[in-house]
Amino acid sequence: MAKYLIKRLLRGLASIVVVVAIVMVLIYSLLDRQGIFAADTTYTKLNNNAKTMYMYRQWQKYGYLDFITYADFLNGLVKSGELTAEERDSMGIGRTASDDSPEVAALVERFTQEYESQGFKVVRLKAVVAKRKLATGGQQQLFATRDRPLIDRLIKHFTGIITVDNIHYVPEDRDIGERGLTFTTHDPVYGGEQFAPAIMGNGTKHKYLLYFDHQFPFIHQNLVNVNLGLSYSIDTGVDVLQIMNVTQGSYVLSPTVFPTGLKESSADDLHSATYMADTRQSSKVLEERFTDDYTGVVTLKGGKSKMGYSFSIGILATCLAYLLGVPLGIIMARHKDGLVDKIGTFYIVFIIAVPSLSYIFLFKAIGGSFCLPTTFDVNSSNALMYLLPIISLALPSIANLMKWLRRYMVDQMNSDYVKFARSGGLSENEIFFKHILKNAAIPIIHGIPGAVLFSMTGALITERVYVVPGVGDLLTRAINAHDNGVIVGVTMFYALLSVVSIILGDILMSMVDPRISFSNESR
Amino acid sequence: MKQETVNLKALGVPEEELFSLVTHSDVESEKITAPRYSYWQSVFRVFFKKKINLIVLGLLAVIILFAFVYPMLIEYDRFANLTDATAKHLTPTAAMAKFGSSIHWILGAGASGEPTFDAVWVGSKISISLALTCALINMTIGILLGAVWGFSKKVDVIMMEVYNIVANVPYILLISVLVMILSASFWTMVFALTVTGWIGVAYFIRTQVIIIRDREYNLASRCLGTPITRIALRNILPFMTSVIVTLAATEIPSYISYEVFLAYIGIGLSDMSLGKLISEAQSAMMTNGWQFEFWSPVVVASTVAVVLYVVGQNLGDASDPRTHM
Repeated sequence: MAKYLIKRLLRGLASIVVVVAIVMVLIYSLLDRQGIFAADTTYTKLNNNAKTMYMYRQWQKYGYLDFITYADFLNGLVKSGELTAEERDSMGIGRTASDDSPEVAALVERFTQEYESQGFKVVRLKAVVAKRKLATGGQQQLFATRDRPLIDRLIKHFTGIITVDNIHYVPEDRDIGERGLTFTTHDPVYGGEQFAPAIMGNGTKHKYLLYFDHQFPFIHQNLVNVNLGLSYSIDTGVDVLQIMNVTQGSYVLSPTVFPTGLKESSADDLHSATYMADTRQSSKVLEERFTDDYTGVVTLKGGKSKMGYSFSIGILATCLAYLLGVPLGIIMARHKDGLVDKIGTFYIVFIIAVPSLSYIFLFKAIGGSFCLPTTFDVNSSNALMYLLPIISLALPSIANLMKWLRRYMVDQMNSDYVKFARSGGLSENEIFFKHILKNAAIPIIHGIPGAVLFSMTGALITERVYVVPGVGDLLTRAINAHDNGVIVGVTMFYALLSVVSIILGDILMSMVDPRISFSNESR
Repeated sequence: MKQETVNLKALGVPEEELFSLVTHSDVESEKITAPRYSYWQSVFRVFFKKKINLIVLGLLAVIILFAFVYPMLIEYDRFANLTDATAKHLTPTAAMAKFGSSIHWILGAGASGEPTFDAVWVGSKISISLALTCALINMTIGILLGAVWGFSKKVDVIMMEVYNIVANVPYILLISVLVMILSASFWTMVFALTVTGWIGVAYFIRTQVIIIRDREYNLASRCLGTPITRIALRNILPFMTSVIVTLAATEIPSYISYEVFLAYIGIGLSDMSLGKLISEAQSAMMTNGWQFEFWSPVVVASTVAVVLYVVGQNLGDASDPRTHM
């Protein structure tokens, strides 16, 4: 059984790779890449060649292609010592290819050959001239471009998922003092007086690699990081997991001692400090507070994270659904064609038939008339605001559970073993709860792990209607904003959840029903 | 011993009451007599025993008439009254006062001055067609593949991977990509909803089959050498008829609901479907006095779904052979 499950899990993980590949094909190859400029104001302001260059730069940023300009090429030559800085400045290309001086033409030829041999396409844009003068943005351009191959992209994505922080994270040419890890028993964040062990790094991405604080689970690490994909437009430069897990709402201020000794009431979480090159020089605020370039701190906020809200609403709704749906389904089947059954059927039909959008609006209107809060407020501590989203989310699941449990039980009621049990003199309740329920509950049990795990992903319509800041609309927002990093990251996260929940469901099912076996291969 | 011969005629007993010699027939002795049983006849007998089914079927006929025949008889132009500011967002009474009492205005007028009643039925035609087409395609492919999937452990290994892959490519992403590539037409939507939609049905059937396939009677059947196709068709399929019909009953309304959802997040059909009507009338829902625009397509969508569901559910009950006794 264990061997079978490990095999299943490995195969599941392999299929996640394929899912990510398919999604990458969908978003990078099939979707019109011009779409990312739809809401871009910079794009509409630019003209002529400048617009083309901007497009290519954005495409490179969004991971569509590799893009190298002639200027980058010249800078590379300067770096390797083949050209001096003065020579570089005189090597600019002419307005058309025929205007180039022989030296420039040779360089252009070399640029073309070098990149075409690597599979790039070299493009030369002639200067756009209006009345003998350059038009706005009409500067001549020369660049090489290549669509990023799927395999490269996949490898880059999957090798980047788990990163181990090391002291070579900061580029070697930067002077940051001695690189290395230090162990301290008195964490400077707490003023260096109380006992609090921490491992700190210099040259690493995170300043604190291991530390203690008073939040569950008390010991935290930044050594191994999971990255699902960087966001480009929704929350620029932030990883998908962090978008889902970072706290929201208003700042929580606490007395903080900054590394320079400055004491201030601040929301900065100094333990989360990451390396941000040259930030201290450019900002007086940071210079007053930090002694090194580990200035990227997360601010603590009062609310839960996106996933926190979605999960707390989702898990409560799931519990409510099972607590109500299962007994109601049993009662409906027990009193088949009775009054409860009829009312229950009416309710099920209502939920199935009325489009979810409209019954959520209906519940909102009904809830509002009972003076329940109908919109979610991150800064409010009113627990009642959870009520309507939870109910809206639970009602369809209750209907679903009732529907299937009733169906399965009614199907079982006519079985021969039930007739046999009845003829053997068992009471109706005994037959019902000891025999029918056990058999009918098997498919219901199969769905429990999925229901629990998927409460993490939020619910789109419910969250939009009640203005819950959850993860439910992350994917749609990412699709609309062409935020490819987030699309890939979210898809992968959902895929992982569903692979795990199916396996858990099968385990649970075979535990409950010994007749179901997965391990025997002799079929 | 002296034999006594009795004159039968003298006793006055009619001939048919007497014993007569019956010849033994090998063929006849092999036959098992049972009451005549036709599956589908019994299904309809049980189905029509419930009087509510007659009412619901009548309602279904009315809906089909309105959704498929009515739009052909009228000339519906959504923007006919666009320039007339006084024609927009009218209650039924106001609309009938303005345009005269005709069937078109009994649900008032919408945001661009169009008769809501006509808009609802034109939308229903598209939505119902979409739901039926998608359900038909998905159920057919899903049941056939699901049966094979559940039955063979080798296929299960492969199909589980296919399921993990296909089911995890986000629906919304797939649909929006397809809509962007192929334009938001009716057949694009059918394609987008069925290209991966069948796998949900197939997975559901697979779970059902797995539950049944290891039961003792199937084990016994296999021991007796019944071929797998016969087990699938004779042992398992009848057991699942009611489950399949119940699934169909929920599947069809779910497409109508799903279409509303897609329209709500902005990747729905370009045609004026029920979903688009509902999601466009969302803002009217918030305005006092305009709620009619929102609730009338909702009521129609719900009625269509309820009728289809009740017919399907009761057919599901009736199609279970164990209810035929």
